[in-house]
Amino acid sequence: MSGPQRARHHQQDGRRRAVVTGLGVVSPHGIGVETFWKAVADGTSSLGPVTREGCEDMPLRVAGEVRGFDAAETVEGRYLVQTDRFTHFALSATQLALDDARFGRADVESPFSVGVVTAAGSGGGEFGQRELQNLWGQGSRYVGPYQSIAWFYAASTGQISIRNDFKGPCGVVAADEAGGLDALAHAALSVRNGTDTVVCGATEAPLAPYSIVCQLGYPELSRATEADRAYRPFTSAACGFAPAEGGAVLVVEEAEAARDRGAEVRATVAGHAATFTGPSRWAESRQGLAHAIEGALAEAGCRPEEVDVVFADALGVPEADRAEALALADALGAHARRVPVTAPKTGTGRAYCAAPVLDVATAVLAMEHGLIPPTPHVVDVCHDLDVVAGRARPAEPRTALILGRGLMGSNSALVLRQGDAAPSADR
Amino acid sequence: MTDQLDYQVTVEELAALMKRTAGVHVDPVTLRQQADDGFDTFGLDSLGLLGIVAELEKRYGLGLPEQAERCKTPADFLALINGALKTGV
Repeated sequence: MSGPQRARHHQQDGRRRAVVTGLGVVSPHGIGVETFWKAVADGTSSLGPVTREGCEDMPLRVAGEVRGFDAAETVEGRYLVQTDRFTHFALSATQLALDDARFGRADVESPFSVGVVTAAGSGGGEFGQRELQNLWGQGSRYVGPYQSIAWFYAASTGQISIRNDFKGPCGVVAADEAGGLDALAHAALSVRNGTDTVVCGATEAPLAPYSIVCQLGYPELSRATEADRAYRPFTSAACGFAPAEGGAVLVVEEAEAARDRGAEVRATVAGHAATFTGPSRWAESRQGLAHAIEGALAEAGCRPEEVDVVFADALGVPEADRAEALALADALGAHARRVPVTAPKTGTGRAYCAAPVLDVATAVLAMEHGLIPPTPHVVDVCHDLDVVAGRARPAEPRTALILGRGLMGSNSALVLRQGDAAPSADR
Repeated sequence: MTDQLDYQVTVEELAALMKRTAGVHVDPVTLRQQADDGFDTFGLDSLGLLGIVAELEKRYGLGLPEQAERCKTPADFLALINGALKTGV
């Protein structure tokens, strides 16, 4: 042991709280939080034609591609050689998040005090395809050893841990698109159980030939050919979703530990719950999502009326949109018709597991800027919801509800409170 | 196979292989000076060394001894590889 260990942090009420202190974003809107937020707040759309090599002739025409991304700007070559694009995104987003949180080597009390949790839905499809083509085209000697690790869901957690020497509790959540929220909940639990810091999030790189072929079987995938028509949830023109690549990583810390090192506490992970209602059973997702919302609110000690903004799952499939609107009504009662609902992801596409993590990052920024960002491409909402469309809406959101559903049937809800928010039994 | 007597892997070639297959940048002069330091001090892990062995096997069209991928230092690795290339094993 090298010197005395700092006593474990506890709040005065005896509970350790998980708070967000840093955001790192790699998205179709751009790299870094500032570029991302500007596009989100302006209601800009970054959806466009699929241009990645080998994808031009696929029956998927519109997606959110991350452009101008050079992983080598932030990550050393030896990590890039052995990893897929989804891990390049994760390593870069992690560095951005750590920088954003001003969390440096000096803040690492012990390597065991920092954990890593990521969620992944598609793994390293591009890397895997290349090596499998080498295998069947040239022979087994032509398959590189990094194939053994690069295409796994777990690759990003492992590489973030290795590169940063984070040896605390690490995990990977493989739970469908909603898994992005589950990863944050897992990180919060880890913090409550004694880990001071958890680097947490999700990134995806599903825009490569093999990966796209895997998605073509989804009936929910939008086959629209025009970017402004491809992804329009909650409207009568809804025709599925446009996929996206990229994602976000957050630095989640114990509140007291964050304050001790002088970090700004930006939001509290206040509550979460998850349910499962089966693949593409969208009508049934109503009950599952409502149950998840109620569970998340209960854990947060949050009344429905306290929810200031909802970041919707917004799948863009009429039956699923209807189920989501009804789930909100079931869980929030009359407040469901009054609370502003937004889905900024219509401007980027759905980055699978990373989609709700980007929404969590957006929610933190929305609370800080006092602005609820709009839902690009969406006009004439055909549900009983106050969807923020067109322009961003000035507001003072203090509590955000973020929803996520997966094509395979997972439903999750997460409650985020602005700043350092104690559970509101005393409110 | 007598014509393999000429095949020897140099420190410079090893440095180039480390860069190309494992993304590890190391100056050949440094590699020569620190040839008895562990591969890990240069940032090369066991999978990286495995990739270098596979590259050499492809290049010379022969199987290298299993111990090659378990060598801890550049000096040990080159001695083993070049010994094996000499005898054509």
